[in-house]
Amino acid sequence: MTQASLNLPEALRGALDTALRELHQRIPAIMGCVVATVDGRLVAHIIDNEADPQRIAAMIGSMVALGESIGRETRIDRSQYVVVNASNGLLYAQRVPSRRELFVVSTLARPTTNLGLVLHETRSAAEEIGQAVDGWLEQQQTRLAAAASTAEA
Amino acid sequence: MSEIKLLFAGPMGAGKTTAIRAISEIEPISTEVENTDFSESDKAETTVAMDYGELTLDSGDKLRLYGSPGQKRFEFMWPLLAQGALGVVVLLDNSRPEPLADLEDFLSAFSGLIEAGRVVVAVGRLETHPQPGLDDYLASVSRRGQFLPVIGADVRRRDDVVGMLELLFEQIESTASTAAAAVAAGAAGDDEWLQFVQRARAQ
Repeated sequence: MTQASLNLPEALRGALDTALRELHQRIPAIMGCVVATVDGRLVAHIIDNEADPQRIAAMIGSMVALGESIGRETRIDRSQYVVVNASNGLLYAQRVPSRRELFVVSTLARPTTNLGLVLHETRSAAEEIGQAVDGWLEQQQTRLAAAASTAEA
Repeated sequence: MSEIKLLFAGPMGAGKTTAIRAISEIEPISTEVENTDFSESDKAETTVAMDYGELTLDSGDKLRLYGSPGQKRFEFMWPLLAQGALGVVVLLDNSRPEPLADLEDFLSAFSGLIEAGRVVVAVGRLETHPQPGLDDYLASVSRRGQFLPVIGADVRRRDDVVGMLELLFEQIESTASTAAAAVAAGAAGDDEWLQFVQRARAQ
């Protein structure tokens, strides 16, 4: 299996790991949660079963993008999330809301759980991650602007 | 009238989305998102699930054109998209670091269709990156004990993309007729496809 994991700056990595850990604690019957880039590279994960997090990352990237295309094509507009409701569990995936929506987050849970709970808790975690991403993007922008003005001077 | 499914496969940045755009008569359906993997390609966007376009031939037959995502991590999509496909165009990009290794990867991934004579290879960016040449590709293919056509192509040009499809039809037809000659009765399952290809080529 080729490693497709993304290296993140320490601060963002910390915020992401915390958000996932807390999400994992808040949902009973959770089997895992994964953050990936929109183009399917693994960023962070907690997985309790044998599912391969790298493959989940690629698949949720595809699934979220396909959901968005289907929303556009069927004129029901922007897809908020996609759900796979399977006989032995469910998988929920959505984009991480931030200024640049570069990430997706997904939760895998046993069928004994409640979809509304998964939806609510994953959405909250996505918002926390989104804030961390925005903070990181702002920092980067400031750094780039500073570098540019130094170069000019 | 029949509906025929074709698949464009190949590594990221080879031009699968562009090729479908070049010939589709409908606004193609795409699943492009921001690319975050600049080690793979410096493109701003990349296809992560599929492309879809349509082309109606003069015979009235409709081609349904599918494009696959190129990155290896999306290989789970490849057999899904290849299911029921009449043929596959493997698009390669000679400006990538190891285009011959890409060739190996994709020929392995679609080996089932190659045995049925339903694959052509089209190499892009030969003008700017002449090495390896088409002969090197052909040598690689024959080292695998396979026979399939390899051409140079610019996927931005409609004629080049149509040329690939013509070559694919030709390849399918010749394989099918060889098979039919060998098994005097002919392979019943291929008949419908063979008829389609003959109609398409007659245009």
